[in-house]
Amino acid sequence: MIDTAARPAAAPALDPARDPALDPALAPAVTPTLRASGRKAAFWLAAAAGALVVAVIALLLNGAAIAGGPALGRANPAPVGAKAVAEVLAAQGVDVVTADSLDAALAATAAAAGRATLLVYDENALLDSEQIARLQDAAAHTVVVDPGFALLQGLAPEIGFGGVSAADQAIEAGASCSSAAGERAGSVAALPGAGLKTLRIPADAAGYAGCFTDGAGASVLVQGGGQDARLSFLADPAILANESITAAGNAALALGLLGEAPTLVWYLPTLADVAAGAPPSMAELSPGWVTPVMVLLVLTGVAAAVAYGRRFGPLVLERLPVTVRASETMEGRSRLYARSSARLRAVDALRLAAIGRIAGRLGLARTASLDEVVAAASAATGLPLHAVRSVLVDEQPQNDSAMLALSDRLAGLEGAVIRGTTPPTSTPPTERMDP
Amino acid sequence: MAITPRFVLLLALGVVPIVALGGDSLADAATVLGVWLAFVLVLAALDLVLAASPRLLSAERVVPARLRLGESAEVQLFLGNRGTRALRGVVRDAWQPSAGADTNRQRITLPAGERRRVSTRLTPTRRGERRVEQITIRSLGPLGLAARQATLEAPGRLRVLPPFHSRKHLPSRLARLRELDGRTAVMLRGQGTEFDSLREYVRGDDVRSIDWRATARRSSPSLAPSLMVRTWRPERDRRVVIVIDSGRTSAARIADEPRLDTAFESALLLAALASHAGDRVDLLAYDRLVRGRVQGASGPELLSRMVDAMAGIEPELIEMDWTAVPSLVRGVTSRHALVVLLTSIEAPGAASGLLAVLPELSKRHTVVVASVTDPALQQAASARGSRNEIYWAAAAEQALLDVERVSAAIRQSGAEVVTAAPAALPPALADRYIALKAAGRL
Repeated sequence: MIDTAARPAAAPALDPARDPALDPALAPAVTPTLRASGRKAAFWLAAAAGALVVAVIALLLNGAAIAGGPALGRANPAPVGAKAVAEVLAAQGVDVVTADSLDAALAATAAAAGRATLLVYDENALLDSEQIARLQDAAAHTVVVDPGFALLQGLAPEIGFGGVSAADQAIEAGASCSSAAGERAGSVAALPGAGLKTLRIPADAAGYAGCFTDGAGASVLVQGGGQDARLSFLADPAILANESITAAGNAALALGLLGEAPTLVWYLPTLADVAAGAPPSMAELSPGWVTPVMVLLVLTGVAAAVAYGRRFGPLVLERLPVTVRASETMEGRSRLYARSSARLRAVDALRLAAIGRIAGRLGLARTASLDEVVAAASAATGLPLHAVRSVLVDEQPQNDSAMLALSDRLAGLEGAVIRGTTPPTSTPPTERMDP
Repeated sequence: MAITPRFVLLLALGVVPIVALGGDSLADAATVLGVWLAFVLVLAALDLVLAASPRLLSAERVVPARLRLGESAEVQLFLGNRGTRALRGVVRDAWQPSAGADTNRQRITLPAGERRRVSTRLTPTRRGERRVEQITIRSLGPLGLAARQATLEAPGRLRVLPPFHSRKHLPSRLARLRELDGRTAVMLRGQGTEFDSLREYVRGDDVRSIDWRATARRSSPSLAPSLMVRTWRPERDRRVVIVIDSGRTSAARIADEPRLDTAFESALLLAALASHAGDRVDLLAYDRLVRGRVQGASGPELLSRMVDAMAGIEPELIEMDWTAVPSLVRGVTSRHALVVLLTSIEAPGAASGLLAVLPELSKRHTVVVASVTDPALQQAASARGSRNEIYWAAAAEQALLDVERVSAAIRQSGAEVVTAAPAALPPALADRYIALKAAGRL
């Protein structure tokens, strides 16, 4: 369709390339240039950048307040963190070492050469029984906060859970308390409106002593285990948490328990402890190129969508005329007849039309009366007068089959009239006209 | 800006280096992926930069001004490259859909400073004015990976005229008209003829047409006595006013043709015939406003002006205002005329406006009301096999009776009625015109 025609026929035969004055001007572009669309979008770009800057500044200003971390985190200033007690211990000369895996914790206690306290708080029960067994003799003093079932089973199977103490009630150290720290603290309490979790020492369990025993005989602090490595179970993390450290003697108990040795290993188990024994994942089994190839294929799909979806110029508008089907009124009327089973009305419409045609066929005037038409039709067909009159006027169909039959008879009568008025075609055909 | 399928293919080819060089290490494979993406993007950017600007183009169109519906025409677009680089790419000439372009995307190569022709074959599917406003150019880079795209203004228009299919009936009707003329040879005198001239009696002339007074005047002693006879010819220089109803009812589609288009066909055939017969034809298309008007044209100019006026008329979805028609006709001619109303005869209620003005019109003029009937009605009326078909037939007969009733009312008020199926209406109207002319009722 493309060829190298010089010019339209009407134009003079000049080469427009050499004569720019004759060449038509540039066609004006409708598509905005990159610069123009950039200028148009400048406000929104500036607004987006401004919003981003405001967000960053707000984040930097309020960053401290919304800093988070794990519950009882060493550096977590949130209400559930334990930065307060850790900072006080550090200020008192205790070397607080943070560990986030069992190996790191054991290495730290080993480095302290037996003069370390190990704090374990396994909030999400990540440690398995083998790992718990390795904790057993790790440090001179191990403080287990809020022990779960696995920890109790592994370290002190005799001890059971004691439920939650009554709310809004400080628990006194009690006479049976043999712990110096416990005695010094005097009493412990949770936040107002909450109780403390407790542990229960069965009567037949030997070697364990409970402090802060409530009226039901369950203790908040249970100590015991072995000759050299002492084991403490602090049943409730609220004792150490920032939000409740100042209640009753909580702070004194915390400092007394954790500040005994020059080194405190602060160990909160993390996911690093779990992965150790799991079976190899799909990602480890598949070769390294699988993920990049998948990324590439996704990008290819996106590129294909862009390549084929890019619109080739704007849509073309065209006003189209309305389309109205002429037979709609007729169809609507027939459905109305059918829905209301208007048999007589339908048949009468057919009769009126047939009477008009018969009258025309028989050469009657438009003004001829019904009786005249009936009489003429009877005479033309030889049918009895009452039969013709019944078909054309009198009969009223009571059901659909009667209506069908009547319609057939009406058509039959019309056919008979036509036959009756057609002259016999026995005459020979006319001859050709003379030229 | 646009990217091409080739870009997509090149991107997908990155699988090969990632698998071959990445090996088992995720980090290596990710590096290869990054390098490949950078490579492809750089190539595409280079392509974009090197592509010729699609904005530096001149555009000129050569479009025929008029085209009959059903015919095809080649329209040409001359694109000139005013930039300094050769442009290679695709051009889209955005004609409206019903202009019926055979293709709207064409590859083009435009060397710098030269012009090329892009031609498109249009076969319009609808009459009226078909437009094109814009062209879109996609200029590919040398590698064919990315393209620059711009839409340029290059307006053009093509007027699509009504097809005038009914002109096939014209020769036979013209022959009939000549037969009418031919009566002058046998000196037949009567209705529909007017006095032409006087000449000498030759043997065979009707003795009744001897003009004794002229014979007496002609006779002088010096000359041999000769009888003078009058000659007659059909009436000429009569007025025909065609009024086309472009209102609501003209939108209805009968046998896949809107009533309005059938009215145009009928008007064209009648006008061609009447202008051959020496009558003056005026056309009005009206609903509540005059949508088209042709006055004072004759000969070939009449038909071309008529189709031109008709091309842009579409049915309006408003009720026809019949009350203004008598004064419109009076504005065209104050003499007696044949007024042809091309409208629709339907239910009695819808025809009341027409019936109200007919007596006034038919008092001064000869009025013919022409309407299309729906062949589907006849079909439906004759099929009576089942219960539903009987109801259909009854509804169809009812509609036909309505038409009959309105036709009777129109005849009552002194006008003629012509009804026929869409294909048959133009010749039927032409026949009625010839009959009226023969009867001297123009």
